[in-house]
Amino acid sequence: MNAKLGPAAFLAIILACAVVLAILPFVMPPFYVRVGQLMLYSAGLAIAWAILGGFAGYASFGHAAFIGVGAFAAGLVEDRFPGLPTPLLLPLGLLAGGAACAVLSAVVAYPILRLRGTFFAIAMLGVCKVCAELNNNVDFFQGSLGLNFPAIAPPDWDPAIFYYQLYLVAGVAVLLIAWQIRRSRFGAGLLSIREDEDTARMLGVPTERYKRQAFVISAVLTGLLGVIYAHSLGYITTDSVYRDDTNLSLIVYSLLGGMGTLFGPVIGAFMLVFVTQVILARLLDFHLFATGLLLVVLVLTAPGGIIGLVRGFRQRRRAKNVAPAE
Amino acid sequence: MSGTPILRVEGLSKAFRGLKAISDVTFNVVSGSITSIIGPNGAGKSTLFNLVTGYLAPTAGRVSFKDRLITGMPTNRIAELGVARAFQIARPFRDLSVAENVRIGALFGKAGARDVEAMTRHALELAAMTELADQPASALTVGQLRHLEVARAIATRADLLLADEPCAGLNPTETAAMIDVLRRIRTSGVTVVLVEHDMPSVMEVSDRILVLESGRLIADGTPAEVSSNPQVIKAYLGTPD
Amino acid sequence: MNLIAQTLADGLVLGGIYALAAVGFSLIFGVLHVINLSHGIIVLMGAYLALILSETLHIDPLLTMPLVMAILAGVGYVYQRFLIQYAVDSTPFASILLTFGVALMMNNIMIWLFSPDMRNITPSYAFASFRLGPIAFDAVRVSCLAASLVLLSCLAALLKYTSLGRVIRATAQQTMAARLCGVNVRHVYAMTFAVSAAFAGAAGIVIGIILPFSPADEAIWTLNAFVVVVLGGVGSPAGALIGGLLLGIVSTLTAQYIGPSFPNVTMFLLLVLLLLVRPQGLLGNAFAPSR
Repeated sequence: MNAKLGPAAFLAIILACAVVLAILPFVMPPFYVRVGQLMLYSAGLAIAWAILGGFAGYASFGHAAFIGVGAFAAGLVEDRFPGLPTPLLLPLGLLAGGAACAVLSAVVAYPILRLRGTFFAIAMLGVCKVCAELNNNVDFFQGSLGLNFPAIAPPDWDPAIFYYQLYLVAGVAVLLIAWQIRRSRFGAGLLSIREDEDTARMLGVPTERYKRQAFVISAVLTGLLGVIYAHSLGYITTDSVYRDDTNLSLIVYSLLGGMGTLFGPVIGAFMLVFVTQVILARLLDFHLFATGLLLVVLVLTAPGGIIGLVRGFRQRRRAKNVAPAE
Repeated sequence: MSGTPILRVEGLSKAFRGLKAISDVTFNVVSGSITSIIGPNGAGKSTLFNLVTGYLAPTAGRVSFKDRLITGMPTNRIAELGVARAFQIARPFRDLSVAENVRIGALFGKAGARDVEAMTRHALELAAMTELADQPASALTVGQLRHLEVARAIATRADLLLADEPCAGLNPTETAAMIDVLRRIRTSGVTVVLVEHDMPSVMEVSDRILVLESGRLIADGTPAEVSSNPQVIKAYLGTPD
Repeated sequence: MNLIAQTLADGLVLGGIYALAAVGFSLIFGVLHVINLSHGIIVLMGAYLALILSETLHIDPLLTMPLVMAILAGVGYVYQRFLIQYAVDSTPFASILLTFGVALMMNNIMIWLFSPDMRNITPSYAFASFRLGPIAFDAVRVSCLAASLVLLSCLAALLKYTSLGRVIRATAQQTMAARLCGVNVRHVYAMTFAVSAAFAGAAGIVIGIILPFSPADEAIWTLNAFVVVVLGGVGSPAGALIGGLLLGIVSTLTAQYIGPSFPNVTMFLLLVLLLLVRPQGLLGNAFAPSR
């Protein structure tokens, strides 16, 4: 596990991977650059979701709400400053989107985190739907009309490569934040909340405060990624960002890779995007079916995801090696 | 062992819709001692325990810890003050190892500066769990889980440990091992209050024994005083006909 | 004044149908403690089956109900016994995710078989209407409401008076004790699911007659059922009826006085608020131990 690697070694490896990933788009055909974008974006979202769902055990079925809120907040604010020089647009959008998500999640956290398990999951889905419906039906948000985003890629860059690198930087940042959380006292507290919230509370873990913090951090990171996504699309409506399949995918990424682990969501995201975009590329009709089938198979055979399978395999091998000596 | 009461219970009462579970219980627990609460089934021992640790609000009376009123305080606040509880039905963090479980106690618990790793090691040693440190909690036996409960509670740097029937369901060897752990905890300066049924162990290890019957305190003294108390004998064995 | 009365009447009519659509979901939640996210799909299966049968057999769609219910009861039994059962005793999320996965697969299959277009089941007496005083009623909707109420009463009677109903209730209240009394709990679970699926399918026929439907509606009907349960209570036809009627009235009032595109917002807001305030619904859990 990560505990075996010292922090310096871990950082070195991550940075090395990032450099390799950064070079890739220059040698890949454009189709794969776009797939790479989607992989990195999904991995970032997956990690952000997992801070709340995997670490703390509060699996949300409605995180797309923050993608939507972040994206639309960014777009509406950027609209108000048409004369702003291009390099400042994205930072402004990120600020707006992040702030909006922070406020929304901070407010929603108090009531929503009183629920647990499946009730929490469904309530978050409800929150997402409320946001989506309001976005679509209240004119101010321009959800049904659509929102335009100015092009922010530098003029001499291929936009696809530009966004790829943006997603890469964002993804690495989110990964490092999650890694730092996991190593900290806060992270240990979150894990104990996931394991047994009442006992954690009794041991002195400030469960309510930690849950809220995890919720807000998760929401803001998701929102920031959503802002980048919106810019990469150029034009968004309610349906482009408040997506049911996103809500579902975020859970599947962690399930597939390993719920509660640091790299599980990344592995799950990479794999699922690869399967749907590359292997099933021509079979668009098949996507729903394939994801559904994957979900069913995972639940029945590998609830611990890929990392769970690997660990189980290692544990069994260790047991077999120990037994004969006794 | 100083003579200051670390825990003071005054006039504690609890009624559940007319049923008086605890009636006017008053006692002090001296710092650095082991106090046992005993009594026949249904006497109200668990209720008393829950009242002291803040899981139940009393209908009357007060609980003070280190001269500070803790009646009805939320459980995590009480933990921050230095009171820890070990449950009879152990609730380990199953997916974490023994050491990681104990480490949670060391990371949180009583407010103040701490050396997390040292505290974890210390707690594991006191509870005789050092060898099992890397085992997943899900692989432990009942007896080992009880030790884990106690280790985790000690790791919170508590000054007072409340243990709820730590020897329940253990065989004589395991019981002796647990009593040994409690002795070591007392030696390290932590006050222990336990609810227990196992009479020989209670008589052997306690500095003071409180006897409850039908929600009332009927005896409060040393093991010798209590075992020769006619009221206590009557409560447990009945009067000869 | 007339407008409010009309809106309320419309809401009640709609609500009765919501109730029927939700009762199966409620039963499964109460007895198996499973949140069946494939519920909406089963409702739609009822609608599509009725469409096919009424067109090929040339009979009134409401008359296909017994056959559709029988078919879906069988499907439900097999689905529960040989698939969901494996997730029932696992983590609470396992059954949600499993049923969600199945819903996705069936959604895709329905799109292949029936195309994503909106369909409609048109009975012969469509477009007829009558008036009761100042309030207009649509004949189709009222006959569907009548069918819903009849079916809900039948289910209530089944649960209360038949031996199957008793064994379902016993298993829901005390599963371990039921096992010790020799109840084959897996079979009971499967039977409960069969009953639930049958009624979901019946609801689908009713819905298919009143509204245009397509495979994309499945999520809405599942969420609808969830809101009805959270409003009215778990595990009883009476709870489903109360929840359904309330939801129906809220929907029509919202559509009339706030805006035609807002009923969904209200529904979801209600869902979130109720989960926070009173998740067990007005009538509570029908299978909870009595005081």
